[in-house]
Amino acid sequence: MTTLTQHKAVAPGKSIIEKLNVFTALALGVISAIVVWRLSLAFLPEESESARLFSREDKITLLSMCGWFVGFMTGIGALVGPFRWLMGKDLSHSENMFLAGENMGPKRYLRYTTDHKVVGIQYLFITILIFFLGGGMAMLIRTNLGTPEGGWLHPQAYNSIVGTHGILMIVGTIIMVTGPFGNFIMPIMIGARDMAFPRLNALSFWLIVAAAVPLIWGQFIGGITTGWSAYNPLAGQAPLGMDGYIMYICIFALSTMVAGANITTTVVKMRAKGMTWNRTPIFIYGVVASVALALPAFPVFFLSQILSAFDRALDTSFYNVAGGGSGWLYENLFWIMGHPEVYVILIPAVAALMEMAPVFTRRPLFSFNVAVLGIAGISGLSVLVWAHHMYISGWAPLLNAPFMLTTELISIPTGMLFLVLVGTLWRGRIWMTMPLMSIMALLWNFMIGGVTGIYLSDVPADAFLHGSMYVTAHFHYTLMGAGLTGALASLVYWFPKMTGRMFDKRLSWISFWMVQIGFNVAFIGMFMVGLAGQPRRVEAYAPTFNTANLVTTIGAYTIMIGMLVLLHGVISSARNGVKAPKNPWQAKTLEWTVDYPIPLENFDVLPVVTSDAYGYGKAKS
Amino acid sequence: MSVETHAHHEHPDVVGSRNRLGVILLLVADIAFALSMVFVYFYLRGQNVNDMWLPAATADRPAIEPLSAGPGWTATAIVALGLLAHMYGLKGARSQNQTQLKLGSLVALVVSVVAMVYQYNTIATAPFTFSDGAYVSCFYMFAIMNLVHILLTVFISLGNWNRARLGLYVENFWHVDIVRIWWIWMVVSSLLGAFSLSYP
Repeated sequence: MTTLTQHKAVAPGKSIIEKLNVFTALALGVISAIVVWRLSLAFLPEESESARLFSREDKITLLSMCGWFVGFMTGIGALVGPFRWLMGKDLSHSENMFLAGENMGPKRYLRYTTDHKVVGIQYLFITILIFFLGGGMAMLIRTNLGTPEGGWLHPQAYNSIVGTHGILMIVGTIIMVTGPFGNFIMPIMIGARDMAFPRLNALSFWLIVAAAVPLIWGQFIGGITTGWSAYNPLAGQAPLGMDGYIMYICIFALSTMVAGANITTTVVKMRAKGMTWNRTPIFIYGVVASVALALPAFPVFFLSQILSAFDRALDTSFYNVAGGGSGWLYENLFWIMGHPEVYVILIPAVAALMEMAPVFTRRPLFSFNVAVLGIAGISGLSVLVWAHHMYISGWAPLLNAPFMLTTELISIPTGMLFLVLVGTLWRGRIWMTMPLMSIMALLWNFMIGGVTGIYLSDVPADAFLHGSMYVTAHFHYTLMGAGLTGALASLVYWFPKMTGRMFDKRLSWISFWMVQIGFNVAFIGMFMVGLAGQPRRVEAYAPTFNTANLVTTIGAYTIMIGMLVLLHGVISSARNGVKAPKNPWQAKTLEWTVDYPIPLENFDVLPVVTSDAYGYGKAKS
Repeated sequence: MSVETHAHHEHPDVVGSRNRLGVILLLVADIAFALSMVFVYFYLRGQNVNDMWLPAATADRPAIEPLSAGPGWTATAIVALGLLAHMYGLKGARSQNQTQLKLGSLVALVVSVVAMVYQYNTIATAPFTFSDGAYVSCFYMFAIMNLVHILLTVFISLGNWNRARLGLYVENFWHVDIVRIWWIWMVVSSLLGAFSLSYP
């Protein structure tokens, strides 16, 4: 076995790969941004009098952010591989081992490490960080809405916090299952030694880190005052902070595309011998459906933001009506991504819970084929529903009815997933753990989220409810009540495999109940004010909505405490938790066949699969 | 413990097949991106908001006339020539003729540079500015995105030629085959732009 020590013996001087880490990336990113900023200031010509206000400032800001991006990615080592390929000097065995982080200890988490388990932990860390920041912003919003007059935050700051909270949480929820568990667990679950493209795997993670800085930067130059959807032409007139949003989305879209190609290739090409599609765990279907949906959807979002940048910095007319552009164009591009994105979030979370259901009921997954069909049906229909977000915009009224139909049709495959979960629970030998209880919570929350969604898909009802707090409550019930519930259950379920220790059972239960009770209190209250007519994204409201808003704020604080308990559980269990046996849940998927710490390439000998992962026998009749 | 995967000691055919699928999937994303641009073009053209697709003459400026379709098709033809050269090189690789591989790769590289210069020149000499209406915005969108594509092609072609020159494709040449997929997509994407701009 080649080790790092042997590698060093071959090459006594540090190679460029060994010198690069997150600190060199940050340094090079900052230096590049400053250099580009100074050069832009010096050389960009003054605008003519007819030019749009601030377009020169937009150019300078966007160029500086590009400078940051290129500098950061160079500093972390993302360009080493491509340039070595160009020069015909492919990475050597020892360099590949170094990149995989072998024998490197904790430092490997701060590098461009290619081992999928390291990338999974990195994703887990950044997901927690995003939720911490986004959740903190949610608390600021709810605190401001605790009283009708608001005033706790400046209206401009309030708007920016709402927009930033929205986009942070969307990105956080997109990566919360496929990031940590899709990277750490999925390759082992299919019996692979790593992802198909380990360097692309590292790239997808570090792109998200690179994307974060422009978003934070944007907070100091006017913020994101448009809400997370950044509708144009409003976004075209927004402060310079909007450029941070644009860069954030563009870089994140690149990350999503890279991850999508990588995960799909891994599953298609690297499943263990004998793992036919009928024997492939349902979680894998969920992850692949999610990234396969994102693969064609996010480039459209990417383009929408590039055109937004063109309008702001170059004075083009894609969304500027005076110049021949159209706000409807933006809405179409945005929602062509925006609605599949909901299922990019939901499907892997539900699939993870479907994976756990047989384990904690000790019976086979009820109708595996229906589960696959449900996932495929949702994925297929989700690309045909985008215009239900635009009923009230006045775009193509004749298409309202077809889009209403496609949207309501999606409840059929969604119902299939409910059926699979309920059918698996039915007469199972229930093992009452937090992940099992999360399945119950998902059924409850997703039912409310789904049923309220049917009202919103209905054109006449939407005419009344559009733009109200009802919409906000609805999508929180789906993305948080269903999606986040699945992600938190995944954390507790796979925690032993990722850390070698059991998650503290008491803390998992305390956190579960606080989050779920707080969540339902908060968002039922929000449904009530929404039905009563309170618009969303307002900093102050009529006193008649006060009681329900106060209840929502109390619910939100309860969620926050529950999440802090969970965070405490993560840290304390990882450090001092009970050591986990190899297979604490007695599950049958492949990840539970490997010891902790998991070897660099997962398996001594690649496994051969001879049956599906749900052979738990029949339930009591 | 085996360390074979990180050392890429799998059979070249297995690695090649995996890389091929990966590139195709990345191209799915790029195709979605390119088709979105076509959608943008025809959407704005169809809407002609405020009659500003091709603005009429005003006191300050003359009417905006669309560019001839020629430059778009010329750029596509140049890129197609690059594809042919690359195919010639690939044929050489398949028949173990390294000289043919090197020559084909070199010609493909030169053609990609020519395409880059031509595309840049088209942008630099366009007879309007960014703010001259929706058609002009779309023209720049296609032209700039095509330039970005061609820049990537120059990088890939340079690497491909250099690796051929160093004799790295003697035993297995799946890289060359994958670069062919990229070249084909370059031709198609360039053609999409040229086709759209032919309907001003």
